[in-house]
Amino acid sequence: MFQSVDDVIQQLGDQDYICDKQIATVVFLAQQLDKPVLVEGPAGVGKTELAKVISQALGREMIRLQCYEGLDEAKALYEWEYSKQLLYTQILKDKVSETIADAANLADAADRVGDEDSVFFSERFIVPRPLMQAITSEEPTLLLIDEVDKSDPEFEAFLLEILSDFQVTIPEIGTIKARSQPLVFLTSNDAREMSDALKRRCLHLWIDYPSEELEVRILDRKVPNVDKRLAEEVVTLMNKIRALDLKKTPSISETLDWARALLALNADELEEGIVGDTLNVILKYEGDVQKAQNELSKLIEKKTVQAQAEKPQPAPDETAKKGILH
Amino acid sequence: MQKKIIEFTNLLRKSGIRVSVAEAIDAFNALDELSLDDRDVFRDALRSAMVKRGDEIATYDELFDLFWSGFYDNLKGAFGDMEGDLAEKGIDLEQLLSQLAEMMQDMDGELDLSELAKAMLTQDMSQLENMIRAAAEDAGAGRIENMLQVGFFSRRTTEQLGLEGAQQDLEGLVERMKAMGMGEEGIQQMQELIRKLMETVRRTVRNFTERELQQQNHNYMEKFRREMLTEKSFYHLTEDEIQKMREVVARLAQRIKNILSIRKKRLKRGKLDLHQTLRRNMARGGIPFEVVYKTRRKDRPKLVIMCDVSSSVANVSRFMLQFMYSLQEAFTKIRCYVFVAELGEVTDVFNDKEVSSAVEKALDGGDVINVYTRSNFGFAFHEFWKNHLAAIDNKTTVIILGDARNNYNDAKAWCIRDIQNKAKALVWLNPESPSAWGFGDSVMDKYMPYCDIVEECRNLRQLSKVVDQILL
Repeated sequence: MFQSVDDVIQQLGDQDYICDKQIATVVFLAQQLDKPVLVEGPAGVGKTELAKVISQALGREMIRLQCYEGLDEAKALYEWEYSKQLLYTQILKDKVSETIADAANLADAADRVGDEDSVFFSERFIVPRPLMQAITSEEPTLLLIDEVDKSDPEFEAFLLEILSDFQVTIPEIGTIKARSQPLVFLTSNDAREMSDALKRRCLHLWIDYPSEELEVRILDRKVPNVDKRLAEEVVTLMNKIRALDLKKTPSISETLDWARALLALNADELEEGIVGDTLNVILKYEGDVQKAQNELSKLIEKKTVQAQAEKPQPAPDETAKKGILH
Repeated sequence: MQKKIIEFTNLLRKSGIRVSVAEAIDAFNALDELSLDDRDVFRDALRSAMVKRGDEIATYDELFDLFWSGFYDNLKGAFGDMEGDLAEKGIDLEQLLSQLAEMMQDMDGELDLSELAKAMLTQDMSQLENMIRAAAEDAGAGRIENMLQVGFFSRRTTEQLGLEGAQQDLEGLVERMKAMGMGEEGIQQMQELIRKLMETVRRTVRNFTERELQQQNHNYMEKFRREMLTEKSFYHLTEDEIQKMREVVARLAQRIKNILSIRKKRLKRGKLDLHQTLRRNMARGGIPFEVVYKTRRKDRPKLVIMCDVSSSVANVSRFMLQFMYSLQEAFTKIRCYVFVAELGEVTDVFNDKEVSSAVEKALDGGDVINVYTRSNFGFAFHEFWKNHLAAIDNKTTVIILGDARNNYNDAKAWCIRDIQNKAKALVWLNPESPSAWGFGDSVMDKYMPYCDIVEECRNLRQLSKVVDQILL
C-alpha cells in the first residue's frame, strides 16, 4: 500500500522509476479510490513501465493483456477448452453408458445426460484469459491493459462492463464476482480516441516528455556509468531534436538507448561526427534522420558559438564600426 | 469547498471541456483522500478526475490558474504591498495591530464591527476572499462581457461587500480609541491604515472583476474556436486555422473508420459455412465445436478523384485530399487527378508516407501540370476522356471537386456524360452555394444533369457528410 503521494515517489524511486508529482498523485488516487487509470501520452515515455514498477513496488502479480485489432472476448476473458472436453467425453464414455444403461427410452437417456451436462461446462474446462485471471485471483493483482487504442471499438464497450462491476457472466455457469479487486492500468498511444464512456470510468493520466532536469535524473539512474556532463548534453540536444517537425519524435527510451550507444562507443563529448553516426539510434525513419542531419550542424554549431562567445576574444566589431564611421 | 468545485466544474463545462456528474463526484472523492496543502497535487488530482483528453490539458491549466490560485495570491500580494507602503511611512503594521488588539480588549463589550471590518483588520485572507466572491456573485459579476463594464461591476461588488459600512465602523473605532486616550501619532497612523485598507480592498475587487472578464472571454473564445471550425467556409481560413483544421479532419476520418469497422463486423454474420466448419474442426474428429459462418462481402468502392486545384478552390481540395488519404484503406483503389486547364494524374502522392506533404504535392500539380493558368473545365474533362477513361469501370465512384467557373470556355458536358455512363456514380462537390450555380461564367447547370449527386461543400460538416454518403 502507498501511504501518501510522497510515498509513491519514494517507493517507485526504489524501483528505479523516477516520476514527478503528477504521476504519483494519480497513482495514489487510483489505489485509494479503486479506479482504473487510463494512461496516455507519446510512445516510449514509460507508460507500460509505470504499471510494471507499481506491481513490483506493491508486490502484486502483474497480469498483462496486450490489445490488438481483432482481440475478442475469447482471447481476453475466457474460452471453453474444447479439446479437453472432447477428451473427457471419450475417456468417460463407459461411465456415460453406465448412466444411461437402464434408461427406459431415448428421452429418458437424454434427460440423464442432460442432468450431468454441468460436469462438462464447469470451471474445469474454462481457460481463463487475462481479464478473468485478474478477477478470480485470490491475491490482489495489477491488471495492465496495454495499448487499448489498438483494440476495436466493440472490445472497448465490452471492457466497460468489467471495469465498472468487476464481474464476469458466463452463460453456462453464472456470474463470477471478483475475489479481489485488481488495480487496473490502461495505456493508450492515442491512435484513436477512446470513447467518453470509458474515459468517464477512469482516472486520466497524461505522461508527457519529461522536463530536462527530470530526464537527466532518469538517465543518471538508468545508465549509471554515463558522465553527468554528457548526460546533460544528450538531454539538451534531445530536446532540440524533439522540437523539430519529425514523424516520430524520440522519447525517453530512445534517450536511454542513445546514452548507452554513446557509452559503448566511448564518446565523452557530443560532436557532429559521432552524433551523425548514431542518429539512427534515436530516429526510426529515414526522412527524420535526413531532417535531423540537416539541422544538426545548426544545433551543434550554436553550442560551439556559445562556447566561443564565453571565451574572451578581441572584438573585431569595433574596428569595423570605426571603419564605417570614418 | 464543495461549492467552489462545482463552480469550477461549471467553468470547465462552459469552456467546452465535458465533465460529467460522475466525474465531478470522483473529484470530490479524490480530494477526500489527499491533503490539500500542496497546490500541484490538488491540481493534478482534479485534472485526473475531470479532464480526459490530452488537448484539453492546456485549457484546464489556464483556467485552473485563473480560478483557483490567481486571486488568492493577488490578494496576498496586495496586502503585502500595503504593508510595504506603510513601512515606508514609518508605520510598523504588526506593532500597530498588536497595540490595537490590546486596546480592543480593554474596551467594553459593546464593540460591533462588521465581519468585513474584522477580516480586514485581522488580515484574514481566506475569509476576505470568500466575502469578495460572494459579493461578486450577488452583484452578478459573472455576467460581465467587456472591458467597459469592469468599473460598473467593481462598484456593485464593493456595494454588496458593504465596504462603506466597514469604513464607518473602522472610523468609529478610531474615535473611540481617541476617547480612550490614544496619542496623536497613533491616531494618525490608524487613519492612514484605514485609508490604505480601503484602497487595497477596492483594488482587489477590481482585479477580481477583471479576472471574471478574462474567464468569460476564455469561455467564449474556446467555444467559438471549436464550434466554428467545422462550420467555417474553406475560403476564409488563415494559416493557423488550416493547421488546426488538419487535426479536425484527421479526427473525423478516424471516426468514420471506426464506424466502418463496426459496419464490417455486422456484415460478417452470414449462413453456416460447412466447408470451413469441417476444416476447422478436423482436430476434434470433425465434430463441429467451432462453427464458421460465411461472410458476406461488401465491395469496397473504387474511387477516382478529380480536383480543381486553381487557387479559388485549393482549400477545399486540400481537405478533400487529406480526408481521402486518411481513408485510403476503406477503398480498393484510389486514383487521383488534378487539373486547372491541363489534367494530370497524381495518384503517386497516396504512396507518400506523410499526409501533409502528400497533399501539398498534389495541390502543387505534382510536377505534371501547370497550375498557373486560367481554369478550363471543358478542356480538362476532354483530356480525361481521351486518355484516362479506362480508369473507370462500373465499380468506380467518380468525385469531381470544382466550382465550375469555366472562364467562358466550351463546357464539353458530353465528356461528363460519358464518364457517368461508365462509372457507378458521379459526385460533384461545389464549394459555391447553389444560388450561384449557372450564373456568370459558372457552367454548373450544364454538368448537373449528368451528376448522380451534386452537393454544396464548403465547410467541414458538409464534407464529412458527403464522405459518409460515398462510403455507405
